[in-house]
Amino acid sequence: MLFLPPDEVIRKRLLIDGDGAGDDRRINLLVKSFIKWCNSGSQEEGYSQYQRMLSTLSQCEFSMGKTLLVYDMNLREMENYEKIYKEIECSIAGAHEKIAECKKQILQAKRIRKNRQEYDALAKVIQHHPDRHETLKELEALGKELEHLSHIKESVEDKLELRRKQFHVLLSTIHELQQTLENDEKLSEVEEAQETSLETDPKP
Amino acid sequence: MDRVVPQAVPLGQMEVFQALQRLHMTVFSQSVSPCGKFLAAGNNYGQIAIFSLSAALSSEAKEESKKPVVTFQAHDGPVYSMVSTDRQLVSAGDGEVKAWLWAEILKKGSKELWRCQPPYRTSLEVPEINSLLLVPKENSLILAGGDCQLHTMDLETGAFTRALRGHTDYIHCLALRERSPEVLSGDLRTAKEVQTIEVYKHEECSRPHNGRWIGCLATDSDWMVCGGGPALTLWHLRSSTPTTIFPMRAPQKHVTFYQDLILSAGQGPCVNQWQLSGELKAQVPGSSPGLLSLSLNQQPAAPECKVLTAAGNSCRVDVFTNLGYRAFSLSF
Repeated sequence: MLFLPPDEVIRKRLLIDGDGAGDDRRINLLVKSFIKWCNSGSQEEGYSQYQRMLSTLSQCEFSMGKTLLVYDMNLREMENYEKIYKEIECSIAGAHEKIAECKKQILQAKRIRKNRQEYDALAKVIQHHPDRHETLKELEALGKELEHLSHIKESVEDKLELRRKQFHVLLSTIHELQQTLENDEKLSEVEEAQETSLETDPKP
Repeated sequence: MDRVVPQAVPLGQMEVFQALQRLHMTVFSQSVSPCGKFLAAGNNYGQIAIFSLSAALSSEAKEESKKPVVTFQAHDGPVYSMVSTDRQLVSAGDGEVKAWLWAEILKKGSKELWRCQPPYRTSLEVPEINSLLLVPKENSLILAGGDCQLHTMDLETGAFTRALRGHTDYIHCLALRERSPEVLSGDLRTAKEVQTIEVYKHEECSRPHNGRWIGCLATDSDWMVCGGGPALTLWHLRSSTPTTIFPMRAPQKHVTFYQDLILSAGQGPCVNQWQLSGELKAQVPGSSPGLLSLSLNQQPAAPECKVLTAAGNSCRVDVFTNLGYRAFSLSF
């Protein structure tokens, strides 16, 4: 402290107590009053000056104590601020992480939404088509009808065949009868011819 | 554009020409670099511009960071489609496919790595290549364009392995089904290679006054969205039935799946967001009068550049950091 350059000392003194009021002035007055007290004459004056000096001293001590307390307070405030600063940094880092998490979640949610919309689009298309059960039922019913109709067709065809065969039989019998009748006629004609030829022969 | 100097000096021919060029510019295709920090955009003059997304999105972005880092002349004709592999940018235009190394492009070198022309039936026709698709499992590239065929090219050898025929008309768009190795292609009339779904024939989604062309296609393994002339519809591929029709009058030119939404863009100035159930969730206006291409930067290497970019009938590429509003526009 004693080896500080003179301007440092002046700067420090100006900083602390520049305008001359306050402690610096008090200390100067104390020194002057001490010198005056040493040179004072009467007992009462000396005593009152002594009291005044004591009071000035106690004032100086009081202000020094106050400054020390203020210094302590500043130190503790600093610590407090440091702590709050660290806490805020931690919460900032935490918020960054949360933001990253949320971004991932947004991407996931967008993917899910896209999938849902795709399902919806396909579902709309599917809705246009009729229900599978109904279509199957219709198919079954149609199949049954088809079977039924083919049965009918078969039976009708059978009947047709039968009738055709019967008619065939009938027609062939008729033809045979015709043939037989013709044959009989021819035979009878031939017999008549023979008879007439026999009759005409023995005459001459 | 160079700022018009507010003096009494008349505009030189160069500036007039540049202003006219920018007025008539259309950005057809976009592609994101493998590192995720750069966006390449190809326009109808054959130029490809590389924008730095990380610079434009950073907090000190100024007007200059919304301009391209590099612009170079890639093709003689328009650049219709672009795709990025691990290290290369493949661009396709009128009949030719060229590849550029990403590392070299950023160093402002504009030498192409290779260029190829798929084998066409006659040497007279030079059809445009409308769509490129990368098949990572086979390390091959599929091209589709105006000659109605799908050409497959192996990226390592550069040889053309297959040509798939079956379409009867120009092919506009391609999409890859991840789980089963099929490629869906949409052309003027039909969509799909393995199974033909004639979209316009289904009554619910056909809009005869718009035509029968399929302009955009996107697939999510079991589901497919396609649109264009017929209304934008969501199809279930297993049963080949249209499930949801999105009530959008203007034909859509680009569609893509994102999380649980379907994003689409087309003739209007807005990017539409649909839920799978057919509801319009949001319509976010952009700065171009019509949009032709959407690109979602989902490269894992650059999560801070996760943006949606939309480009179309103007020289501006809109950047959406949040799907709800347009953040800013990059401009050629």
